[in-house]
Amino acid sequence: MNTYTKHKVLLKAEDVNLQYGDKQILRDINFSIQDIHREGVAQGQVVSLIGRSGIGKTQLFRILAGLIKPTSGVVHIEEDQHPVQAGEMGIVPQHYVLFNHRTIYQNLKIGLDNAAVKLSDAEKQQIIKDYADTFELTEHLKKYPAQLSGGQRQRVSIIQQVLTGNKFILLDEPFSGLDILMVDKVINLLLKVSTLHEQNTLVIVSHDIENAAAISDTIWILSTEEGKPGATIVKEYDLCQMGLAWMPDIRSNPAFVSLIKEVKSKL
Amino acid sequence: MKFIKSIFEPLRIISKRNMVLLMAVEMVLALIAWQLSGGGLIPTPTKVLQALGTIVSSRDFVDNLFASLSLTIKGMVISIVIALLISYLAMIPVFYPVARFVVKCRYLTLTGLIFLFTLWTQNGHQLKISLLIFGIVPFFVTSLLSVFEGINVQEFELCTTLRMNSWKTWLEVVVRGRLDQVFEVMRQNFAIAWLMITSVEGLSMSEGGLGVMLIKANKYVQLETVFGTLVIIFILGVLFDYVLGQMRHWLFPYTQLQTRR
Repeated sequence: MNTYTKHKVLLKAEDVNLQYGDKQILRDINFSIQDIHREGVAQGQVVSLIGRSGIGKTQLFRILAGLIKPTSGVVHIEEDQHPVQAGEMGIVPQHYVLFNHRTIYQNLKIGLDNAAVKLSDAEKQQIIKDYADTFELTEHLKKYPAQLSGGQRQRVSIIQQVLTGNKFILLDEPFSGLDILMVDKVINLLLKVSTLHEQNTLVIVSHDIENAAAISDTIWILSTEEGKPGATIVKEYDLCQMGLAWMPDIRSNPAFVSLIKEVKSKL
Repeated sequence: MKFIKSIFEPLRIISKRNMVLLMAVEMVLALIAWQLSGGGLIPTPTKVLQALGTIVSSRDFVDNLFASLSLTIKGMVISIVIALLISYLAMIPVFYPVARFVVKCRYLTLTGLIFLFTLWTQNGHQLKISLLIFGIVPFFVTSLLSVFEGINVQEFELCTTLRMNSWKTWLEVVVRGRLDQVFEVMRQNFAIAWLMITSVEGLSMSEGGLGVMLIKANKYVQLETVFGTLVIIFILGVLFDYVLGQMRHWLFPYTQLQTRR
């Protein structure tokens, strides 16, 4: 059994509502993510937001990132719990947007150029080299994004956000359109990123329940409730408490299998 | 047989070599059709070719060619600077109405404005340059704004998540990120400038130019010379287009990665 403790709240949504005209998209969204500590590991947080296509996941994603303002409610981040501003959370969109006019090296460097910590060019070069080695991108550094596969672009996109120094990274459908081997690679990458820093927090927006749940410590189910407009978080699963977090062979665990079934039934 | 079938199939991509072959064959067929149908009012290709030789070897051809080229290049450079300034500034709200007004100026006919420009400018050269600029800039700005307005919102959002301020975002996405497309717009508008040159040159003939040659030949109904001059203008235009296209690929290698061929 993994021992862990939960500390300060790092991300909190309070009464978030989103309405376009008469149409309620999101209703009364409330949640919080706490800093998890595990001995001997720089354990970050990985939360999955699961919901059916078109339910409003991407809208919630954009609200969390500070890219759109909710009709009411507020999202607080970091230890001082200030309202989120655009740019404080990294986002990795579904189609892995990169600067097509820049090489992969330059795309990664631009992340460091805008980081809070100012580095010399030599230091930036070394950091990019290290990350490229770790995430198997060294041979692609001189290429342009159009020359990379979807999986490679996704890796660049994630690392770009990490290099900017964003501790909070939102990933929109990170497993979408990838083959089984690539999904495993992405899972390893996300696990690596989540353990790079104690406060690194990944929020995975996905409809791929099994893969998202396998690497998460918390699952939120975004769905509608009978007779009420708009989607809300209908259920939260604390996988740490359930003893289903941070286990490499979790997929074969009967408790995990039944959890997946239960999650499916709630969608 | 397979090749013949492939050239009639929609969206089929054929090799570069075959495409060159296809172009050559179609050009030869067009010339044969022209040769067979000509002879009346329209001079045949052989007569045009003879006229071409006479034009090129004439005493003032180089002067006229240089006059047209220098006028076009000067007009284009000034137009590019003005149009880029207007278009890039259009991303700042206070300047946007100005850009929209310039775009609408496409609907003002040059003919009606010649008198006004004649009063404003001090000599024929200035008049030609002014009309050329006025003719190009609205089209240039229209194309550039269309490029900028078509930028995916996710590119701007990426900049936000990378903590860039609005100026840095503007520089990265609008300026640097669209340089290749700006170059392409410039290439297309060079063709418009080249197209306009002959009409503009007719307004002040003292400086000469290919347009002046054309007008003189028209006046004396020297149809072989008219067609010969048109062929020269056409070949030069195609040559410029090719050079600018190659330059675009050389300057922005990533542009070739996302095209079908």
